[in-house]
Amino acid sequence: MSETQSSPLKIIRDAIKRHKRETYTPVVPDVQFGFVHNNVDCIGCRACEIACKDKNGLNPGPRFRRVQYIEGGTFPEVYAYKLNMSCNHCAEPACLPTCPTGAIFKRKDNGVVDIDSTLCIGCRRCEAACPYGAPQFDPSDGLVKKCNMCIDELEAGRKPYCVMACMMRVLDIGPIDQIRAGAYQTKAIGPGETTVRAVKNLANPELTNPSIAFVPHNKGRVEEDSQQEEN
Amino acid sequence: MSNTAKSLASRLNMTRRSFLKMSAGTMAIAGGLVHRDGKAFAYEPYLRDDDLTTVVTSCAHNCGSRHMLVAHKKGDVIVRLSTDTGEYQGDSWNTDTEEVPQLRACLRGRSYRSRLYSAERLLFPMMRVGERGEGKFKRVSWEEALSFVAEKMEYIKEKYGPTALLDQSYAGASWGVLHKSDQITGLLGRFLGMYGCRTSSWSVPSYQGTTFSSRMTFGTIKDGNEDDTFAHSKLIIMWGWNPAYTFHGGNTFYYMRLAKQRGCKFVLIDPQYTDSASTYDAWWIPIRPNTDAAMLAAMAHYIFVNNLQDQEFIDKFTQGMDAGTMPDWAKDRENFKDYILGTYDGQPKSPEWAEPICGVKAADIKKLAEMYATTKPAALKASWAPGRNAYGEQYNRMAAAVQAMTGNIGVLGGCSEGVGKAWSPKSSAYPQDKYKNIWKQSIKSDRWAHCVLNYPNVKREEIGLWPRSDNTDGQIPNIKGIFWQGSDWFNQLTNINKEIEAIKKLELVVCMDSTITPSGLWADILLPIATHFERHDAALPWYKGHYYIHRPKVIEPLGESKTDFQVFTELAYRLGFGEKYNPKATRDYFDNNEEVDEVYLREWWENQVMAKQHVELTWEEFKKRGVYKFKLKRPHIAFQDNVEKGKKWYTPSGKIEILSTKLARYTDWTKTAYGYEIPAIPKWIEPWEWLGSEKTQDYPFHLVSPHPRWRTHSIFNNIGILRETYEQEVTINASDAKRLGIKTGDTVEVWNGRGKVVVPAYVTERCMPGVAVIHEGAWMDLDENGVDRAGNPDFLTDDNPSPAGAFAYNTVLVNIKKTELAHRPGWDKLATARSQVFRRESSF
Repeated sequence: MSETQSSPLKIIRDAIKRHKRETYTPVVPDVQFGFVHNNVDCIGCRACEIACKDKNGLNPGPRFRRVQYIEGGTFPEVYAYKLNMSCNHCAEPACLPTCPTGAIFKRKDNGVVDIDSTLCIGCRRCEAACPYGAPQFDPSDGLVKKCNMCIDELEAGRKPYCVMACMMRVLDIGPIDQIRAGAYQTKAIGPGETTVRAVKNLANPELTNPSIAFVPHNKGRVEEDSQQEEN
Repeated sequence: MSNTAKSLASRLNMTRRSFLKMSAGTMAIAGGLVHRDGKAFAYEPYLRDDDLTTVVTSCAHNCGSRHMLVAHKKGDVIVRLSTDTGEYQGDSWNTDTEEVPQLRACLRGRSYRSRLYSAERLLFPMMRVGERGEGKFKRVSWEEALSFVAEKMEYIKEKYGPTALLDQSYAGASWGVLHKSDQITGLLGRFLGMYGCRTSSWSVPSYQGTTFSSRMTFGTIKDGNEDDTFAHSKLIIMWGWNPAYTFHGGNTFYYMRLAKQRGCKFVLIDPQYTDSASTYDAWWIPIRPNTDAAMLAAMAHYIFVNNLQDQEFIDKFTQGMDAGTMPDWAKDRENFKDYILGTYDGQPKSPEWAEPICGVKAADIKKLAEMYATTKPAALKASWAPGRNAYGEQYNRMAAAVQAMTGNIGVLGGCSEGVGKAWSPKSSAYPQDKYKNIWKQSIKSDRWAHCVLNYPNVKREEIGLWPRSDNTDGQIPNIKGIFWQGSDWFNQLTNINKEIEAIKKLELVVCMDSTITPSGLWADILLPIATHFERHDAALPWYKGHYYIHRPKVIEPLGESKTDFQVFTELAYRLGFGEKYNPKATRDYFDNNEEVDEVYLREWWENQVMAKQHVELTWEEFKKRGVYKFKLKRPHIAFQDNVEKGKKWYTPSGKIEILSTKLARYTDWTKTAYGYEIPAIPKWIEPWEWLGSEKTQDYPFHLVSPHPRWRTHSIFNNIGILRETYEQEVTINASDAKRLGIKTGDTVEVWNGRGKVVVPAYVTERCMPGVAVIHEGAWMDLDENGVDRAGNPDFLTDDNPSPAGAFAYNTVLVNIKKTELAHRPGWDKLATARSQVFRRESSF
């Protein structure tokens, strides 16, 4: 289905483009790290979530990483798969330009999008702007926090806690270009499997260019360039 | 170029080209483009792992696996936990091979810090001040607490005799080599046994039906292959098995992923379309609960009728599979094949016969039977859950018969599980001498309340009294006190309302735990026990895997916690047998245990592990590394030598006993531990509650209560970060829900004649119509009318065990309706779980 000139979607898209152009020129990192997740082989155990919560000292409430359960069909012809995201460390992060104090920044060396907690005032604008629900408000101290890809671990030459927690080895990080090109060696992608940039019911990746790739479930596949139309 | 950048790039196995590109970028920054990053963390200063002390240890609870935990601590405080990275065994960082995989902890293990420092942590000895169960306690000294327990013990033993104290230790703190809490080799059994006053509990809640089947059929519960062998199967039938939830072995679920990548097909027989089914892309065959034996019988029928059985295997290795394999002494008895073909009762156990029983189409049964009989090698993994039923042992025995008739036993990629224990660790560092497991009487574990309430008018078969060879055989125990060590059994056994009646009749209830548990609230005295982070031990794999993990004392015991070994030793001294109980200890062991524990552990390592398992790593080196992983010479496959080299099975006949010699020879069943007759060959026997029974008029739903993923039984129920990711809920099918006007998130009451619980509903197409699912282990929380607001399904279960001792946890009919009553997910107040979000596509 093609869009007409006056479609609301088109108006919104144009507005986003204008807004991005006027307010923000994103940092272009030397290497953009990103996540890869296998939607099918993930057992949905949430060890990654709990490892993240423990590492970041979070109480119940804020969840940097969220394993989402998707199911459908009618008994007995049913299906289910998992979608696992934290922050997608977007190439053009929607959160960043909304921050009134400049607390959100994108790292030049690895493309990690981060919040400087000493500058955050907890206004929650980034939370509203992010199409993936990455920024999490922590009521215990009134700040917004989110995944920083365990920058301390990256700097120590290791991988983030969630990746190292994955019992099924279906979650990994790497240079996102290589992951997308199938040139990155990782157990997250099985033999013969390829990745996609987006799956059903996710925001259009053109909005923020998220640094994440999925091995999709058949029922989760979208035609990448016609996603908006499908919605 | 910094070292950090170099190691990061190499560890992320980047290509040389992109690595150079990255270096160039870094240099460009250094050359003048000043880019200043802000502070990264939500709180500063942030302690990085490399600033902290790293200590390798493991998780320690009774879940079915055992993984590495790595504590990162500052001073005496654990700041965070990580897990295996492959480097601790001496390999490079992130070594993770099929032969030596990492032992990555699950979500429960990763939450351990929250449990260690939880608000429910028991820190001081506490004495009850209110009524029993009222939950009112005062803090007392160890001196006061131990004197109280010792005096009460003397009084009870004197007044009521040697059966008056019931051992309800269980595996909540078990599977160290020094600090154990099981019924056979545990510390409490040794303590009460030596004291001379102990009634023990012999049936295992998780898998007694399965244990019975494995013992009768193969003569051992070590009928399992190691988890890596699953990677070699061509077909895996998960019968009521959900490794994506239970984890069941160090890396079982991961090896099954490798099997999938190598072309293995998966089938799930289960009332629910589980996460295991979706992950392994399984063919789901929904089945009515408790009818598994009938479906397996129908598969056997198809295989026999179409002559697909491995007759050579049958002739060589089995007893009683068919007329040709019947021993001489049993020529006039029923054999399995003729039972299946209907020779005796005129009813062939055909797929058409099974269809109305199981709710599975005959065509599907035939298709599966064909697949299983013709795919080699194929693993029929007969899990424990369908055995937690009335006559659950028949399901496991039937599965073993089907495994044997297709010759899938003793081969790589096959399966004869069953219980499924495989590689055997050296499991005990303290004496397993003549004082081990002394018992004066022993009963089916779920019959204690029945025994207490009806004493002395109890028949031995009602409580499954284990036979004795002395003149106390048949004596009904006069239970007046209970000890819980590492056990929350009051919350976990069947028919809790009956337990509540019974516990009021007792004179002493002792709870030893690191946590204030729902059972503990019904105790007279609470003794604070050090967690495995606070004592020295070594960890064993549970169920599958071949490794040892060192468990040093990571931090000092919190509050006034003592190890259970310290408590029992001190009590034993006060009761006059301290030297015998803990032979290496000195009188001051209660205050000074570290050197003694070290000696026990070193001797275990040197005399058992090094001497008998060909391990060359010294104790000191093991302590330094924290882990030892075995490399097996060949994959561990149960009964490989039996099949390849003619080794005998551990049964009376030395064969796989489809016809059990033992069972065939019993004449007076009341004198056996089982109490009631069990057929010598596997048979389908109608359970006392199921979807085919008349009771469905009042209670139309069959309730099953599987093991949850976010708890180990009741352990971890108090952990907020786990509870926010899942919900204690009742799962029902969408068509049932529509009829009852129930939507996801509605609060409903689930009830039958035994009790009532209040839970939110989860409405899904992934559950069979007519079936309701509530996961076991929620911490009971009664309102003033005795309604459980937490949703513990054991208010609904029946304490009537299967003859072989299987708990009938999954033999329960209930009704469901919307309610105004309140659900309380925990003792604390939490934000609503957000796990509901994104659950169903239609919600978008």
